Amino acid sequence: MGRVPRRVGMAIAVLALGVAALPRGVRAQSEELRRELEAMRKQLKQMQEQLEKQQKVIDKLSAEKQAPAAPEAATAPGAKTAEAAAADEERLKREVTEHIMQRLRPQLAAANKTFPSQFNPAIGLIVDTVGSYGSKTRGDFELRAAELGISASVDPFARGYAIITGSNQGGFDVEEAAIVTTSLPYNLTFKGGRFFADFGRLSKFHDHDLPFVNRPIVLDRYVGGESQSDGVELNYLVPMRQYLTLTGGWYNKMGAENERVDNTVSRDLSQFTYLGRAATFFSLTDANSVDLGGSWAYTPEVKIDNGASRTLAGIDLTYRYSPLSQASYRGLVWGTELLYNQEDRPVGGFPTTSAAVATSLERALGVPTLAAETRGSPFTLAGPTSAAATPLVFKRRDSTGLYTYLEARLTQRYYPGFLFDYAQDLDHVAGYTTGYSPYLTVWLSEFQRLRLQYTRLEQPGLHENEFFLQWTVILGSHVHSFKDR
Amino acid sequence: MKRLTIAFVILTLLGPAALAPADSKIKVVATIPDLADMARHIGGDLVDVSSIATGVENIHAVPMKPSFATLLNQADVLLLLGLEAEHAFLPALIEASRNPRILRDAPGYIDCSTYVEVLEVPTRIDRALGDQHPMGNPHYNLDPVSMKGAARAIADGLSRNYPEHAAVFKKNLDAYLAQLDAAIARWEKEATPLRGKKLVSYHPDLIYFAERFGMEAFGTIELRAGIPPTPSHIEELEESMRKNKVDIVVRELHYPAGLAETVAQATGAKLVELPAFVGGVPEAKDYISFVDYNLRTMLKAVQGG
Repeated sequence: MGRVPRRVGMAIAVLALGVAALPRGVRAQSEELRRELEAMRKQLKQMQEQLEKQQKVIDKLSAEKQAPAAPEAATAPGAKTAEAAAADEERLKREVTEHIMQRLRPQLAAANKTFPSQFNPAIGLIVDTVGSYGSKTRGDFELRAAELGISASVDPFARGYAIITGSNQGGFDVEEAAIVTTSLPYNLTFKGGRFFADFGRLSKFHDHDLPFVNRPIVLDRYVGGESQSDGVELNYLVPMRQYLTLTGGWYNKMGAENERVDNTVSRDLSQFTYLGRAATFFSLTDANSVDLGGSWAYTPEVKIDNGASRTLAGIDLTYRYSPLSQASYRGLVWGTELLYNQEDRPVGGFPTTSAAVATSLERALGVPTLAAETRGSPFTLAGPTSAAATPLVFKRRDSTGLYTYLEARLTQRYYPGFLFDYAQDLDHVAGYTTGYSPYLTVWLSEFQRLRLQYTRLEQPGLHENEFFLQWTVILGSHVHSFKDR
Repeated sequence: MKRLTIAFVILTLLGPAALAPADSKIKVVATIPDLADMARHIGGDLVDVSSIATGVENIHAVPMKPSFATLLNQADVLLLLGLEAEHAFLPALIEASRNPRILRDAPGYIDCSTYVEVLEVPTRIDRALGDQHPMGNPHYNLDPVSMKGAARAIADGLSRNYPEHAAVFKKNLDAYLAQLDAAIARWEKEATPLRGKKLVSYHPDLIYFAERFGMEAFGTIELRAGIPPTPSHIEELEESMRKNKVDIVVRELHYPAGLAETVAQATGAKLVELPAFVGGVPEAKDYISFVDYNLRTMLKAVQGG
């Protein structure tokens, strides 16, 4: 052993003793530093090796590139054509790409094996909360919905999606779970499962997607809230320059809160609901356009309505002013829907409804024939409690209702609007309800929205003033859907 | 009578399709006029090209008109910027168009970003960072060199769908690239006074332009991409702009005028108003005149013209 190695050995020994003598914390730190140093050394070595390999490849390719140049020079000295140079460049590029791909392929394959969750669907969550205070209904904070949206392609022929909602009304509800074809010929799309039937415009919107806090009274009362339906639907885009779609639907029933029929009970063909709809679009100018639609839902036999038929028809019209260069911060929308309902209704209304009318509004008003059913439509007819004992007498009833709203887009953030509601009572007992709702929507970003709304509801002999503050956020995946436009 | 009615309904529905003139040209639909212009050069007489946007729109807020669904329904190929630039309208329109030829991953779906060297690819995906584009900044159409890649992608896409015309597309592409290369050489020379100049834009869509012509994209009026500005952000931005001597405030013409003007005035920077696409101003008739216009406008501001 020479002198130098001995000195090094001594130095190591002294260092080791020194390290041993250090307090535990300092020792741990130095240990950590040593590990980091080791890791860095390894990384450096790997990088050096990689660089060497790359250099070898470059050298090899350069040699190959130069080799054929010699005979060429012999045949045409100093006159290498531009074409040959381009071909060389192309070949070099291809070889380098191939080389890189060869190196990457095993890693990519490994990555594919590592992440089986890659096929998981897109997931998004919408949280919709509403705080409200009414002169008679009093105050409430409501988690209106925590809505989980899941969607993905099924295969080359279909896609699937589901909307699962939890709310403070308890439990979870499958709002939609549907399969939609993506490659049917002849411009056809077929849909099956549970989905929002293609009736009108705002019936197909989820609550949080509405332009105002509450669903218009006429939609709540006539359609039964969202046009949720279990069934099948065929949609056809007519192949011509003018936009025209035709829809045919076949459902158990239509309307999430339509309680005329139970979704879980089987029925005769005459007891299903059948739908037809046509929708078109007119581009008046680059900035002005009109959407126009007509919908018709027919149930040949509604058991609860004494076995009579029910017809629900509607016309929807939406005018939009959207100056192309300012579309993100200027615009105007006027939307309106007119609905007509015809069915047999018991004189004085259904007695079952009266059993469920112990609501805050009723208590506050002391009027036993009126109930607060849903926000925005608190005036719902309830039959006299004594009617339960007597056989019901039915009468054919025609009812109409509408909503119309105007919303301006003043800036990227502020969207003020005004909604007018009018809806006749289906049983013709309580007359009609009107609503006046100015509102202001503030978009903090595309994924967060605040809305302030005042609503005055009027019914012959009654009125109610309500204030709402809605706060809605979107987490995760979010798509801009065509039907929500 | 009943049969007659049925026949009438069927004829009404299918008649227009049956009577439509048979057009042998390849129907190309582009999302923006920049790609439409290139497709016309590359496709020549073989193609009939339409664009969804006219060029004055904000690409992230193109109104989703149903008439675009009928346009896409007839398309043989679709050209798009890609990198999720068209996320606000295109996926829904494709679905509404019922055209399997242009579905994502179908041969007719031509993503023009394939050969583009993408900038600002996020290392962290988080909505706290704004309306992010997970695959990177999609506004490469403002950089003529990146758009050479788009032209190549168009030619490749057309050749993939119509291999019988591949030679024509290649020839047209080469001719167009030669034209573009000559213009690029000229632009790079002209842009010398822009080197080192700092700019603030409304949205981070000037990144590629800045990179190409040696400018520095200093910040944005938006708080983050897609998030409207707040008063405190503007205050901080103005202070930082003064400190760092920012030369230019760019208002892309589809953003509101007032605030950009205020920021420019408050900081002593020059206000420049630029179109983001071909057709954004009458002078930007095609891609080359579009870049010409943007460069000329920027130079004018820098040179105090």
